[in-house]
Amino acid sequence: MVRRYWRRGRPECAGHEWLAAAAPEKIMQITVLVALTLLVLTAFGFLTGRRRALAVRARSGPRLHSLPNYYGYYIALWTGGPALVLLAVYGAFGSGLVNTLAMSQLEREAAPLIAEFERQLDSDSDFIALLEEAAEAETDALEAREAITRARDAGLDPQAFQAALAGHTTRLTEIGARLGQRRADIARTVAARAPSSDAGIRARSGFEFWNSPRERRELFLADARAIAFGEGLASRNTPELRAAALAMRPVEDIFRYSVAALALSMAVGGLAWGRSRIKASFRARNRVETAITGLLMFASVIAILTTLGIVFSLLFESLRFFASIGWRVGDFLFGLQWSPQIAIRADQIGQSGAFGAVPLFAGTALITAIAMTVAVPVGLFSAIYMSEYAGPRVRAVAKPILEVLAGVPTVVYGFFALLTVGPFLRDFALFLGYEDAVTQSALSAGLVMGVMIIPFVSSLSDDVINAVPQSLRDGAYAMGATKSEAIRHVVLPAALPGIVGAVLLGVSRAIGETMIVVMAAGQGANLTANPLESVTTITVQIVTLLTGDQEFDSSKTLAAFALGLVLFVLTLMLNIIALRVVQRFRERYE
Amino acid sequence: MAYDTNPAPSTVYHPAPPGMQIKVAARDLSVTYGDALALDRVQIDIPDRSVTACIGPSGCGKSTFLRCINRMNDTIDTARVRGSIKIDGEEVNDRSIDPVLLRARVGMVFQKPNPFPKTIFENVAYGPRIHGLAANKDELAAIVETSLTKAGLWKEVADRLHQPGTSLSGGQQQRLVIARAIAVNPEVILMDEPCSALDPIATARIEELIDELRENYALIIVTHSMAQAARVSQMTAFFHLGALVEYGPTEEIFTNPRDQRTQDYITGRFG
Ligand SMILES: Nc1ncnc2c1ncn2[C@@H]1O[C@H](COP(=O)(O)OP(=O)(O)OP(=O)(O)O)[C@@H](O)[C@H]1O
Ligand SMILES: [Mg+2]
Repeated sequence: MVRRYWRRGRPECAGHEWLAAAAPEKIMQITVLVALTLLVLTAFGFLTGRRRALAVRARSGPRLHSLPNYYGYYIALWTGGPALVLLAVYGAFGSGLVNTLAMSQLEREAAPLIAEFERQLDSDSDFIALLEEAAEAETDALEAREAITRARDAGLDPQAFQAALAGHTTRLTEIGARLGQRRADIARTVAARAPSSDAGIRARSGFEFWNSPRERRELFLADARAIAFGEGLASRNTPELRAAALAMRPVEDIFRYSVAALALSMAVGGLAWGRSRIKASFRARNRVETAITGLLMFASVIAILTTLGIVFSLLFESLRFFASIGWRVGDFLFGLQWSPQIAIRADQIGQSGAFGAVPLFAGTALITAIAMTVAVPVGLFSAIYMSEYAGPRVRAVAKPILEVLAGVPTVVYGFFALLTVGPFLRDFALFLGYEDAVTQSALSAGLVMGVMIIPFVSSLSDDVINAVPQSLRDGAYAMGATKSEAIRHVVLPAALPGIVGAVLLGVSRAIGETMIVVMAAGQGANLTANPLESVTTITVQIVTLLTGDQEFDSSKTLAAFALGLVLFVLTLMLNIIALRVVQRFRERYE
Repeated sequence: MAYDTNPAPSTVYHPAPPGMQIKVAARDLSVTYGDALALDRVQIDIPDRSVTACIGPSGCGKSTFLRCINRMNDTIDTARVRGSIKIDGEEVNDRSIDPVLLRARVGMVFQKPNPFPKTIFENVAYGPRIHGLAANKDELAAIVETSLTKAGLWKEVADRLHQPGTSLSGGQQQRLVIARAIAVNPEVILMDEPCSALDPIATARIEELIDELRENYALIIVTHSMAQAARVSQMTAFFHLGALVEYGPTEEIFTNPRDQRTQDYITGRFG
């Protein structure tokens, strides 16, 4: 693949035929070789440790502190551990370092072009005029904002100022677009002046990289790496990218070889060090224990850091979204109109109402309510039946069947809702004389989602009901309670906190459920309590905002992150409450 | 089944005290759990207004015997009860007997105190409520108060009736469930190791209480403590491997055991 790209590009890139032949496979081979050698060394370390320990034991003297295998593990850890850490660190940061080194070299070579570009930018009359206009619009916007605050403080209607502010913001966006345009034009003329020699192309490459915004830079690097090392497929193949690729190659090679050499020598050194420490009194078992503890801790740290990373990226992108709508968080959380499609047009950015998320919240709440209306009674009653009434034989058959429901992929529920339940409900509503019935309705999505949640509620409730001590039931029976009295008066109240927890977990499932609603609830952001209309939910909107061709920094796509944040906070709170409640319940009967 | 072909276990009966009024009478009472025989053809007459102690090594069927009297064995799927057991001459195992009503007549206290997850008041009021014993709130409150007083708990909880029953100490909880049992005014009270989860002081209080309750009820208690059996009971039944080995006035059993196994057990040679 990579080579084909190269052949296509070659005529423009004279003097570098060798590059086409330099096979990325060779580099791969080195990595594999190092890894294999490490494995062999580690195994050898284990055997050595064991053998030495056995030898120490054979000699009469003090008793060996640990079993011989532990000495083997200890040396193996010293052999493989540091080298693996080094490789991991290199794997994580190596490419970034190579990119930085290579590109800063190219940027240095591009210095004359950059200087020329900045000179032209400073002297370009169009550009200067646009800048002035922008400053003016910004001042106007600032004033309008102040006026709004003042009007609010004075108890007046800030409507007029808000309209003005919207106008200013629109103007700013427009000017911004034109500024970008002009900048790009100048950059193009400057770059065109560079000679088409190797050096010229390298300078052009550095200049293009220097002049790219953040996202473009990442793309540029990814493409260059694709060309240089066959990491994935390049989306473009320009002379500039090839020059960058060429600059990366030697840097990368140096790094790869030196890291390989370093890793191997660390392995050998570790082996020798471990070996030198083995004597009868050495506490290998405790050392290995420490290493295992470290490994487990490391795994949990990774899990936690990943979670934190996701949360923070959600948070930052949400902040960017709020910035792009002028920090009107209130409009987002309490606005009644949701029409993000309009808002991507430049003249609509910041128009109030376009990103009002209340219809989504309402849709989510409606569908969740319908789902829980199905899931709670059915799930709870079946749990009661399973745990209190059903004989062992019934339970052995019925419980797995119920749990199969939990294994059905949600997309299957989705088309069940879309193709079976939806049309049935529509026809039924039409039959009853409701003219506006549609196939995609909150009701069909909610009902099917309820079915999906039944096994959740029932199996969790079953657990908590079973956890109620038999002695309480015996107590009730001994007082002369009938079976259902014992359940209603004693078992359920005792299990109530746990059942509440189960229901809350079910609710958070319902809120986060996506596939069923995408397929069955429709897309219209209607603010309605009528279950026969189509509604949309937070999750559905996230999907629609992010799928399709999108720039990843328009307000429209950023809105998805804000919605995601809301969703996250919502389900997090529900889960915390549910877990608290369940925990309280556990403590009571421990 | 095997035990039908085996000869019935023989029981040593000491002479009953004079003027004994029989409350509970078992004839050929057997219980099996699945195929396992837990109680083998027990014959026993238990007097009214006195305490009968059931003793014997673990697994000998004491609890099983107790559960026959209020038909709690019905709640165990595998349990099968045969033979006859009568309260005041009325057959307990008869189809015409409603176990729900029977259990209102035969109260039961368990080894571990098991107050319901309700307030102290509601725990005691539970029985009267489900059996409709109180016509109005005042009557119910009166029942609760007298029951708690009889159980010797009233003074301690009078000002915290509406706190959860589980908030009491173990000894208080045990007295609470005794109050709960006597609130429906039963005729027989069954106690299955009522003191085994309690400290000596709480045990002493419960024993005192048992002694007081003897005035009005027939009590049958299971205990592993010889000393307790000797202190609180008038009659003692010694069970071994599902059979009733020896039965008679407590003094007789403890001072003059006639079966070797009884002798060994009460002198602590096996158990
Ligand atoms: N629910 C049950 N299912 C099956 N077998 C049971 C059950 N309950 C008791 N058993 C068996 O019946 C026999 C008598 O049990 P029981 O509980 O009456 O003994 P126990 O004399 O009360 O013993 P302990 O003093 O330890 O309480 C035992 O062998 C026991 O294993
Ligand atoms: Mg027992």
